[in-house]
Amino acid sequence: MVIDTLKCVGCSDCVVACQTENDVPIGYCRDWIVETVSGTYPNLDLELKSERCNHCDNAPCVRCCPTGASHSVDGGIVMVTADECIGCGACIESCPYDARYQHPDGYVDKCTFCHHRLEKGHLPACVSVCPTKCMYFGDLDNPNSEVSQLLKNRKHKTLAPEAGTNPHVFYLI
Amino acid sequence: MHEELFTSGRNIPHIDPSLEIWHWPISLYLFLGGLAAGILFFAALFYVLGKEKEYPAAVKFTSIIPPIALSIGLLALVYDLTHKLYTWQLYTTFRIESPMSWGAWVLMVVTPLSFMWLFSYYSEIYPKTEEKLQLFKKFKFLKTAERFLIDNRKYMAYALIPLTLVLGVYTGILLSAFNARPLWNNAILGPLFLTSGLSTGAAAIILMSKNTLEKHLFGKIDLGLIIIELALIVHMIMGYYAGSQVQLEAMEILVGGEFTLMFFGFVVLLGLIVPAILELIELIGYKVPVIMAALLVILGGLIFRFVMVEAGQLTHFLY
Repeated sequence: MVIDTLKCVGCSDCVVACQTENDVPIGYCRDWIVETVSGTYPNLDLELKSERCNHCDNAPCVRCCPTGASHSVDGGIVMVTADECIGCGACIESCPYDARYQHPDGYVDKCTFCHHRLEKGHLPACVSVCPTKCMYFGDLDNPNSEVSQLLKNRKHKTLAPEAGTNPHVFYLI
Repeated sequence: MHEELFTSGRNIPHIDPSLEIWHWPISLYLFLGGLAAGILFFAALFYVLGKEKEYPAAVKFTSIIPPIALSIGLLALVYDLTHKLYTWQLYTTFRIESPMSWGAWVLMVVTPLSFMWLFSYYSEIYPKTEEKLQLFKKFKFLKTAERFLIDNRKYMAYALIPLTLVLGVYTGILLSAFNARPLWNNAILGPLFLTSGLSTGAAAIILMSKNTLEKHLFGKIDLGLIIIELALIVHMIMGYYAGSQVQLEAMEILVGGEFTLMFFGFVVLLGLIVPAILELIELIGYKVPVIMAALLVILGGLIFRFVMVEAGQLTHFLY
């Protein structure tokens, strides 16, 4: 997933779309908007971006899970099998992005990149509703895909690369 | 200036504003697990060395503690799970990369062994209870089981030595495997928790012992362990100082931050330095209440687990 921080206006549409699509319990969220202000007045810099699970290549949550409930599926999406999750919280402790939460039903829940929608050929809910079209979703292994081209041509960053997780959500800057 | 705000109003319970997923049961369990590992390690070691008669508290009397400690610890662990009915899923797989999986399986073996170890000494250390309950007369198979366990004590001891070491180290590795929590994420936590576990185990043996020679020996062992523990703590702090920005921030919680009094006052001073001085004075030949030192070590060990679990969850990479 690629998100253009220069186009994001922080409207939270992606957050609401996700909550609706995935039946996220009230008060919880799988994605969220972060507003970052940096610099010294009057040279301030404002950055808006939508954050979620980074579906890391070296996912600490998958490594720490004692039952294998957290796992990577084909294409690198990190998923949680609710029936295998014991709710120990190890994955939550291990996530540098705090992208997971304990569902009121007990198991641990997080962004799935709307895996159920991808299977039908649709885009993730957050991507499909974005009014500024600042989010892009596609195959990073394919050098001709839109996301690969964007990363080739635009300056970008990932969150907390120093955590060594090799995240797969990229932010254009 | 660098300021980050969740403008979508993110406020997930137990995660915002600061992570609070693991509560007191985890700290309690880490303490009890370490304590049980320490006691069983010494029991097995002194049995293998053939010192059963010289050090009865270490091998026999203190063995009442591990089964109770592990049972309470396991209950606390399950209590802290949020999807409790699926706990059995732990035992459908073994995940070599997950410290918690290691812990689950080690506990699965050590907990029954701790009961078996105690049972093999039951009629020897609690003859009066047996007289009252007459368990062996009522249930004949218990006598057979006891005979079997006594005959195989040597094998139990050989199994317990490595297993208790794994149990002791695992209580620390469990935390240090989380690279997202900079305070925990250092390799020294495993040896540190093991040393602390062994030290609390030795202290428990001092409390249970009625034999001066034994008290004296375990006082010495405990003193050695405390010195190693202090050295490991110094290394841990040095590691944070030499670490990355997130580790420097993590260290500030222990040094000059929220947990300074708890860590340096209660854990380091009252839990390690004061008992070490008391044990040293006793070693020189003065009469001091060694029980006091042992109690301080145990209490210090407990507070240490609470400090590390609570403080570690305040440290993070983002936001």
